[in-house]
Amino acid sequence: MLCENCKKRTATVFYNEKLNGKSRSLSLCGECASKLREKGEIQDVTSMIESFADPFWATQDTLFNDFFGISSLPKKAEHSACSFCGSTLTDILQNGKVGCPECYSTFRDALTPLMRSLHGTSLHRGSVPQRQLAVRARNEQLGKLRKELQKALSEEDYESAASLRDEIRTLENGKEMNQNGLV
Amino acid sequence: MAWYNEQGKMTDTVISTRVRLARNLVGYPFPSSLDSTSANELIEKLSSPLEESGFRKIHFSDISAIMATSYVERHYVSPSFATAEGPRALFLQEKPDLAVMVCEEDHLRIQSILPGFDPESGYQKAAAVEHRLDREFDFAFDEELGYLTHCPTNLGTGMRVSVMMFLPALSASSCIGSLSVQLAKLGLTLRGAFGEGSGSIGGLYQISNRLTLGYAEEELIQALSEAVIQIAERERRARKSIRGEALEKLTDRIKRSEGTLRYAHLLSGKELIRLLADLRLGISLGIVQGIRQEQLTSLLVEGMPATLTLSSENAPRNEASRDKLRAQKAQSILLGG
Repeated sequence: MLCENCKKRTATVFYNEKLNGKSRSLSLCGECASKLREKGEIQDVTSMIESFADPFWATQDTLFNDFFGISSLPKKAEHSACSFCGSTLTDILQNGKVGCPECYSTFRDALTPLMRSLHGTSLHRGSVPQRQLAVRARNEQLGKLRKELQKALSEEDYESAASLRDEIRTLENGKEMNQNGLV
Repeated sequence: MAWYNEQGKMTDTVISTRVRLARNLVGYPFPSSLDSTSANELIEKLSSPLEESGFRKIHFSDISAIMATSYVERHYVSPSFATAEGPRALFLQEKPDLAVMVCEEDHLRIQSILPGFDPESGYQKAAAVEHRLDREFDFAFDEELGYLTHCPTNLGTGMRVSVMMFLPALSASSCIGSLSVQLAKLGLTLRGAFGEGSGSIGGLYQISNRLTLGYAEEELIQALSEAVIQIAERERRARKSIRGEALEKLTDRIKRSEGTLRYAHLLSGKELIRLLADLRLGISLGIVQGIRQEQLTSLLVEGMPATLTLSSENAPRNEASRDKLRAQKAQSILLGG
């Protein structure tokens, strides 16, 4: 799609605005988007509170749309679809919304830089589900056991190595079962 | 008693604090792509642990539009949840006020709402519900991106803290614009409430965290708290700086507003918001006596069209009869003080 403003370059910024009850959508190239932004013709944060009865609910979708498009996207990813919900990267970018949790893995390479431009980082530092704490603990334990196994093998302590290998297998099987249980 | 009838902290400058956690379950697409059968299945799955914890379930496809709007007015659900189609449910618990929307934009929106300023306990209360559900369900989570949400603006903690502030003096001195720019640099958003665009009726503004990823919940809460406390201080200084003729004029306006609220026969919604702002300011300046801040918050919520209509046995048929009912409601709440 060509930029609506210059009609020359490819549109990469999909801008949605809802102001005083009027909607406006623009497809722009990065260059025109920043020019229009400087001139104040489009805004950085366009979601405004409109509902009289509703002071609380902030819709930040348009903000997300603004940020999207700014980074260049890997071409090949545009047409592949998420195996769980069928969303394509184009769907996600146009809607500014993601189809299912799986999409984040499917389109990780394309989405991670966008998340970075949106949040300034792409690394979570907050709370974690209990299940994930167990996964982390098990991964740590597996790492430790593998090191011990290497050491036992290099010291030709085959008896310890055999019991360590069993322990690792048990832990790994547990992981598989758990992962299957999750899907 | 709902949040809007309770006492809170810092009510001279803060109306309410809302903490929301967005969560999704593994194995289902996000609600916008969920079919009715799966949505109902999800609601059923979540019902037993929530009902066991004292929540009552309200199927939004079964209730009237006016009832749904009243839940919006009381800040338990979003407007889009109230007007959406398809299966969706609100799980509600009062005292402390906790509201869980199932099948809004995300599978779960766990929220706690408190009067005045108290983001820490708001977070603790919402997190307690989240922990209860975490024991039974697998939340969609990624080591790098944190909790996975429909809209990437909620990724990470999935937490949004919104504080509704009352800033009439700062608003009158037109420094809200520069304040908004300063807050943006701190990753916070300020917007006018009850108004169109960035304007505001009644000096009400909402401050919330824009960032959700890359910081721990406590860090986000602290950054927001520091900002809110500083803004409240600036607002108090601005109120104290009103002197001389300006104070005389303001006192006159506030007393006239009190008179109107106490004796008017008809009151529109917008007028109510304006009068309540004058009275709230009047209480903090010592001009109005015998009225408590929480009575004003009750009236701010209970005077909203849908909630007001539902409170009457004879539903008002037109705007004029609703305005009359609103004036009566104002007088009965003020007398209750």
